Amino acid sequence: MSVAEPLLFSASDAELHEKISSTTWRPRSWGYRAALLASGLGTLWLAFCVSYTVARGIGLWGNEIPVAWAFGIINFVWWIGIGHAGTFISAILYLFEQPWRASINRFSEAMTLFAVMQAALFPLLHLGRPWFGYWLFPYPSTMQVWPQVKSALPWDAAAISTYGTVSLLFWYLGLLPDLAAVRDSAPERWRRRVYGIFALGWRGDERTWVHYRSAYLLLAGLATPLVLSVHSIVSSDFAIGLTPGWHSLIFPPYFVAGAIYSGFAMVLTLMIPVRKLFSLEKLVTVRHLDNCAKLLLTTGLMVSYGYLVEYFLAWYTTDPTERYQFFVARPSGPNSLFWYFMLLGNVVVPHLFWFKQVRTNFWVLFVLSLVINLGMWSERFVIIVLSLQREYVTSAWGDYRPTWVDLSILGGTMCFFLFLFLLFLRFVPFIAASELKELRRELQHTPQLPNAEGNAHG
Amino acid sequence: MAELLLEFDGPEDLAQAARLLVREGYAELEAYTPYSTEEVREALPPRRSWIPYLVLAGGLCGAGLAYFLQWYLVAYLYPLDVGGRPPHMPLAFVPITFEMGILGASFAAFFGVLWAGRLVRPWHPVFEAAGFDSVSIDKFWLAVSSTDEPGEREALERVAQTVGARRSSFVPREVPR
Repeated sequence: MSVAEPLLFSASDAELHEKISSTTWRPRSWGYRAALLASGLGTLWLAFCVSYTVARGIGLWGNEIPVAWAFGIINFVWWIGIGHAGTFISAILYLFEQPWRASINRFSEAMTLFAVMQAALFPLLHLGRPWFGYWLFPYPSTMQVWPQVKSALPWDAAAISTYGTVSLLFWYLGLLPDLAAVRDSAPERWRRRVYGIFALGWRGDERTWVHYRSAYLLLAGLATPLVLSVHSIVSSDFAIGLTPGWHSLIFPPYFVAGAIYSGFAMVLTLMIPVRKLFSLEKLVTVRHLDNCAKLLLTTGLMVSYGYLVEYFLAWYTTDPTERYQFFVARPSGPNSLFWYFMLLGNVVVPHLFWFKQVRTNFWVLFVLSLVINLGMWSERFVIIVLSLQREYVTSAWGDYRPTWVDLSILGGTMCFFLFLFLLFLRFVPFIAASELKELRRELQHTPQLPNAEGNAHG
Repeated sequence: MAELLLEFDGPEDLAQAARLLVREGYAELEAYTPYSTEEVREALPPRRSWIPYLVLAGGLCGAGLAYFLQWYLVAYLYPLDVGGRPPHMPLAFVPITFEMGILGASFAAFFGVLWAGRLVRPWHPVFEAAGFDSVSIDKFWLAVSSTDEPGEREALERVAQTVGARRSSFVPREVPR
């Protein structure tokens, strides 16, 4: 690329700040308002379907024996997976000192938070009686019946709630200097007051910075094993079960790779329209998209390797039910369409990212990111539904069809996610301005890097 | 007690001024900056963060409590025999212990910063300095403490005029905790 991060090197700190922070007070475009309205209506529909489910019970869903776990957990795993890219970008790339992460980390962290919120909805509703959700936690019960902490499900509850909380803390800590900047520069007095409350009185004194830097680095270090543990624990929900297609040691790494893969796809799905909508082409550059596409290629290959190992092991066990599951039920059983979507999105599509023309073409990337999202959703569908449809006893074989409530809740969470995301774009400086200013300074004061060109690529 | 706040365009100017003031005998300095820079860090008296110790303590507390709670609940209070497996099974306790360790450490890091920076207070005397708004955007401020003895402030102001600040103002200084 001839010009990498042009704005970063041409604008002054004040101009950079103006560009980034003014998104919180500039009037919104009609496109934004229309999107907010549409996603808001979708959120209302979600609220209706959730209330309906709570009032009438989960018999409204398509879950039946043998597929008793269906949309409730497919969507949960899918959303949690999407959340992984945020922490990956903000923590792992921070530890590896990848400077390009700075203009997309805030944004991806917010994506993580909202995705985890959607994910948490599903197990809660799947309880059937969500008002007993607190039974998952060891509260001082007079009945003295405690959660069975030797089961993977309480591990899951601990992992997801920790993940959500730590992501929130990490995100908010990074946000403090930028909230203070909005407090100090917003045109209206009331806005300054509101942001002043959220900035918690940030003054940017060196004493705070010393502790802040230390805490930020430590949080990144803590979030790194956390993000790898969360999907490993989610995968143990399956790997512990004896169902053919689930009982495999490849699950934890393969779930983590899939999660990061789907998360980067969602980053692209959101980032490409946002950079257009807010004309941020000079801050979120071709290089960012290029790097995301390279990470998609890497993680996509890991996912493909996971599939390969699964099939090899199914053959190698000589177990007829395992072999039947992988070689007959998945390619030709009921709902096998999703198996083909899975292969398309997760095995075929990544190979397009070998080509630079694909990695740097936004509209192609946008469409491919949607295909990958579909592919990763299909993967969870395949693992959960196709496995449960064909277990050991042929008389217990069955089929699965989602109901309109299932589909509405899935669509509703997408709207709710988008709704929260649009509000975030409106009210929060969604590019980390103070980090960008600091990064620019470091780049300018490093002698071998007269400009960003050719520096640490990917 | 009062302190004089001086505004500078960049971290180099601030660092130079800080060194000059230290030579003049003003050792109690604090910088207010939009982002953290090496120049400012080096110009001020060295500081080490105690956050890592707090994080370690938070992590150990979280993990320790989680392990104890798991043992207490399923091995001591309500042991359940599932296929003859031992009630106290350390391997099965690993995931929750790990997660709670991370949670404790993260809480320690986050609230440690709030405590260390004396945050969660919307107002602070330095906000009264004229033009202090620029501190979160692109200007670098240096705070120099002065005693209330007669003539002290004027002496400080005279020295400050030589360091090339864009503007300066006195604000009351809080007695440090």
